[in-house]
This record gives sequence, structure tokens and C-alpha cells, in this order.
Amino acid sequence: MGDPVLEARGLRKRFKSVEAVRGVDVIVHRGERVGLLGPNGAGKTTTLLMLLGAITPDSGTITIDGFKLPRQRSKAMTKVGFAAGYLPMPDRLKVREALGVFAGWYGVRHPEAAVETALERFGITELSDRLSSRLSSGQRTLVGIVKATLHEPTLLVLDEPTASLDPDIALRVRTSLMNYCEATGAALLVTSHDMREVEMMTERVMFLARGEVVANDTAAIVASTYGHDNLEDVFLSLAETHRA
Amino acid sequence: MSAHRIRIVIRRHLYVMWRAPHRWFDIAFWPLMDVILWGSLGVYVAQQDATSKASAPFLIGGAMMFHVLFQSQIAVATGFMEETWSRNLMNVLTTPVTEFEYIAGTAILGIAKVIAALTVVSITAYAFFGFDTTAVGWDLVPIALILMIVGWGLGIAGIGAVLRFGQGAEIITWGSNFILMALSGAFNPVESLPAVLQPISAILPSTKAFDAMRQVLAGKPLPVHEIVTGLIGSVLFVIAGFTFSWYMLRSFRRRGFITRFS
Repeated sequence: MGDPVLEARGLRKRFKSVEAVRGVDVIVHRGERVGLLGPNGAGKTTTLLMLLGAITPDSGTITIDGFKLPRQRSKAMTKVGFAAGYLPMPDRLKVREALGVFAGWYGVRHPEAAVETALERFGITELSDRLSSRLSSGQRTLVGIVKATLHEPTLLVLDEPTASLDPDIALRVRTSLMNYCEATGAALLVTSHDMREVEMMTERVMFLARGEVVANDTAAIVASTYGHDNLEDVFLSLAETHRA
Repeated sequence: MSAHRIRIVIRRHLYVMWRAPHRWFDIAFWPLMDVILWGSLGVYVAQQDATSKASAPFLIGGAMMFHVLFQSQIAVATGFMEETWSRNLMNVLTTPVTEFEYIAGTAILGIAKVIAALTVVSITAYAFFGFDTTAVGWDLVPIALILMIVGWGLGIAGIGAVLRFGQGAEIITWGSNFILMALSGAFNPVESLPAVLQPISAILPSTKAFDAMRQVLAGKPLPVHEIVTGLIGSVLFVIAGFTFSWYMLRSFRRRGFITRFS
């Protein structure tokens, strides 16, 4: 296993009386694919947003490819590609314009070529001249993922990447992402509510519940530890336990 | 600080301007209407009292210089708000673009907007009221510079307010320039303000700029002391705006307010 591309230790975050994240460690090695799972309110989104520098942890350290947050946030972000199923691209820009803007911000040397390559990689070159505001939710998600891969980051962070996609498109996205990670050696940290998808895409899963990591291993080992044969049942039992 | 990323911020907003004709209202239509409104008022007042100092040149000059402040403020503020309106803030925050680069990009775009608006004002003022801006000359440049820096400060402070208090705080951005217009005596000497407001007016750098403008329009030399005081004040004003927004951004990150915009 390679050296860590993401190393977050002892993350804590409290919002007023709610302790959303309680001493979470997230370590993702170079080229590794990790799923961050947990029921609603488990602290997944807060953890993810802290890893991206959008929320400041109360305590803990975050290092991305050697760059420490928050001081080296700008440099760290050149190594990260982020996409979320719920985030649109900027209004009033055509897809290629919006992607060109992000490529520029990421410091891509030849933005037009990078946009073209990334669109081809995910099979959506036909969306190139469409206004971002006219995309369907599925297309929007795909373009978001293309955006995240433009600069060939060492770490891809995806929040619910296939949540709004039809099964065939979701399959295409999963396959393209796997191929991308394989080809570039990028690590992947993904959240999803689709346990089958997580089993397919990741090599390791971290289960969060009430702000703590309650399981951290391969899907098969986590499932057997909880006496189940799949992650879906683990999820259901964890959700039940922690709701009680 | 990356000049390349700043250029991309400008390009990102030029795309929006290209596709959103209503954005041109701020640059072309409102300056035009202001010249017509204040110019006509000035002509009317002059017709009533030929010795009045509220004649067209003073009011048009006030409208013109107000647009320097207005355009630079809204360029910075709406540049940021564009990201909140299109729910793109999270995407921007996860790129290498820094807060300074983003603001620098919108501020530079603001200079272009100021030039465009001043062109509209100058042409309209000359065509409708015979007010020749070029006759005033280079003295307007330091005056405009003070107002542009004040506009940046106001825009930056507006961003801080939206980060901290959410989109409802946009009203601060839309309203603050009009408050400043009134308190700085854009169209009238501050002595005509209610006595209770005059101390506030006296410490505003924009007051120095509008006062200097009136003196220049009256044919007097550029009041260097007022300009220097105004410039120092405007720099302090923009530093105050930055400091406020910096703390608001810290609070935004600490309290997890990003979820409001995504």
C-alpha cells in the first residue's frame, strides 16, 4: 500500500450542543478506494467538508499529499478533485466554458485539451456546448465528476456521486471512475447510500455512527464482523442500533 | 497570489455578463437614468435661482462620481453573490483559488465596469446637458480613485455579511451604497445634513472625494489635503472591510455555514 495521500487525525467538530464528529481519523493511501458510510446524521458530510477545508475542525490535523490544512489549502486543493451529486455547475456558462474555468483555477496547462479529454473519458462530449443550467440532474452529476478529474488529482472526493442517476448512467459513471482511478493511480474517497455500489467501487469502508468510526476494513470483513454477508444489512443494523 | 487564477475569475464573470443582458442595466441603464434625473433637477433648480450651486454640473458630477463607488462595489459583491445564486460556492471553495485572488479578480472587473459606466455618463451628460467631463480634466482621477477604493471596501464587507448571515444579508450590499451616498454628500455639501449625522459624514473618505469634486467643478484647484486624507481614509476603509470579511469567513468555516449555500 502506498503512502497516505490523505491523512486526517483526531477530527472533532461540535455545532452548539451537538458533537457532530468525535475524534475521527481518515487515512486514504495513494491509489486506494475508500467508502465513507453511515446513516443520516452520522457525521459523514461534516467530515468530508472538513477534509476539503470548507469547515474548520475544532481539533485535529488534515494533510493532503503533504500539504496541511488550513494553511496550505490552496496547494492542497490542486491535488483534490471534488464532486457532489447535489452541486450544479455555474449558471450561464456552457459546459466547456465552466470546465475551462475550473481547469484554469486548477492550473491545468492546456485547459481546452484537458476539457476535451475529460469529456471523452466519461462519454459526454455532446454536452460540451450546452448551458450548464439546461442539464438534467444526471448530466449535471456527470459534468461535476468530469470537473473533478480535469486536473488529474491524486485524490478524488465524491459525495453521493450517483444519487440522481438512472441505473445505466450510474453504471457508466462507476465504470468510468474505476477506469480513471486505475489509469491515473488516483485515490478515491466516496460517500454513498448505495451499499452495493460501495462494495463494487471500494477496497475499504469506514462506517461512521454518531460522529465516530465504528468500523474500518474491507466490505467483506466489516460485514462478517457484524454477522452479515453484505454492507446493506450492516448499514441497517448500525442505523437501528444508533437510533435506539 | 496567482495572476493566472485572477484572470480566470475575470473570465468566469465575463461569461456571465455576456449571457445576462440584465447585468448591463447596472453599467448602462442606471447611469443613464441618473444623469437624466439629476441633470434635469439641476436645470430646474438653476431656472428657479440662477446663482444656485445645485445646478446641473454639480448634480451630474455627483451622479458620475457616485457611479464610481457603486460600480466598484457591486462588481465585487455581485461577483461573489453570483457563486451563491448559482450554488457554485462549494465548487469554488474546493479549488486552489484563494479569497484574495477571487476578490482581486472581481475588483479588476470593477475597474472595467467603472470605465464603462463613466463613459455612459459622460456621453449622456454632454449630449443632454452640455456637461463636458473632459473640461474637468485629470483632477477627477484621484477623486474617482478614492471612491473606487471605498466601493471595494463596501463590496468586500457585503461579502462578509452574506457569509456570516446568509443571503438575507444581501440587502446590506444593495442598501449600503445609498446610505453612503446620503452621508457622504454626493449631491450636497455635508453642512446641509442633519447636525446629528455630520460627525459620521466627516469621517467618511467618500465625503472628502465628493467635496473635492464640488471644489473642482467650481473652478477651484484640486484640494490636495482633502485628496490625501480621502486616500488614506479609503485605504483604511478597505482594510476594515477586509478585516470584517476575514473574521466572517473564519466564522463561516467554523460554524459550517457552507451547507447554507449547497
